[in-house]
Amino acid sequence: MKEYKLLITGTMGAGKTTAIRAISDIAPIVTDVVNHDSSVDKARTTVGLDYGMLVLDNGDRIRLFGTPGQARFDFLWQILARKALGLVILIDNSRPDPLADLAMFLDGFASHLETLPCVIGVGRTETHTTTTLDHYADALEARGLVFPILPVDVRQRADVVSLIDTLLGQIEAGMDLDL
Amino acid sequence: MIDIDNIPATLREAAQRAATACLAEVVGVTAVVIATVDGFDLAAAFRGNQDATRIAAMASSISAISSVVALEAGLGSFKSVTINTDAGFAIVQAVPRSDIELVIHVIADGDAILAQSMHRAGVMARILAGTET
Repeated sequence: MKEYKLLITGTMGAGKTTAIRAISDIAPIVTDVVNHDSSVDKARTTVGLDYGMLVLDNGDRIRLFGTPGQARFDFLWQILARKALGLVILIDNSRPDPLADLAMFLDGFASHLETLPCVIGVGRTETHTTTTLDHYADALEARGLVFPILPVDVRQRADVVSLIDTLLGQIEAGMDLDL
Repeated sequence: MIDIDNIPATLREAAQRAATACLAEVVGVTAVVIATVDGFDLAAAFRGNQDATRIAAMASSISAISSVVALEAGLGSFKSVTINTDAGFAIVQAVPRSDIELVIHVIADGDAILAQSMHRAGVMARILAGTET
C-alpha cells in the first residue's frame, strides 16, 4: 500500500473544502471559521487546512490537503505544498477577474510548478461564460505552462474524481504509479 | 455576523489599548497583534518592523488548527497555544466574544518570562471578551 499527497488550492469560495468533502472516504478535517470579509458571500472560510483521504481500489491512499484561498495565508501554501505529488487549482469563474485569480496561484506556487503536476478546475462555467477555458489555456501558455483545464462542479463527486484522475494521470506520466 | 469594516470603534480602541499596554509593560514582548478568527488584524503594537497582516493570518491559522486538535482529542474549546523556541516564544490566545471571535498573538524574545506573558495574554482575552475590566 502506497500513500500519496495531493494539494487542492484556489480562490476563496471556489469549493476546496466541498471538493474534499465530496470524495473523502473519511470524515474530513476542516479548519473553517466565521468569515468577516463582506466582499465574499460566504458564512465560513478555511484559515488552516482541510484534510481528507481517498482510498483507491488497489488499497493505495491519496491524502488530500486543502489550502486557505486568501493570499494572506500564502505562508501555508508553501508549507502544505511540501512533498505534494500534485496540485489542483480551483477557480471560480463567477468572480470579477478569474484569470487574475489564476495568476495569483500560479505565482504563489511558481517554484513548485516547475516540477509539480497540476490540473486546473474551473467552476460556474455554465452560468458565467465571459471567461472561457480557452482564455485559461492562453493564460497558461503565456507563462509557458500546459496543464489540463476542466470545467467542474465540486458538489458532484464524479467531477472531483475526474479532476483527481486527471491529476493522477499527469503524475503517472512522470513516475511509476500503480493505480 | 460583523464584517471587518463594521467592527465597533470601541472594540478596536480597546484592542489597541490592550496591545500597546502589553508591549510596554511586559519585558521581552516584541509584538502583540489582535485579530479576527479569520485573520484580519484589529490592533497591533510592535518593537521594530513587523507585519501585522501576516502575524494576524498566522494567528488565525494556528488557532483554527489548534481548535481542531482540541476537538479531535475531546479536549473542549481551544483557549491558547504556546510555541516555545530557542530564542523566545509565541502565544496564541482565544478571545471568545459572542459577537465576534478574536485571537491574540503575543511574540516575545528570550528576555520574557513565559508565565507572565501567558497571564497577560489571558487578562487581555478576558478584558476583550468583556468578562474582566
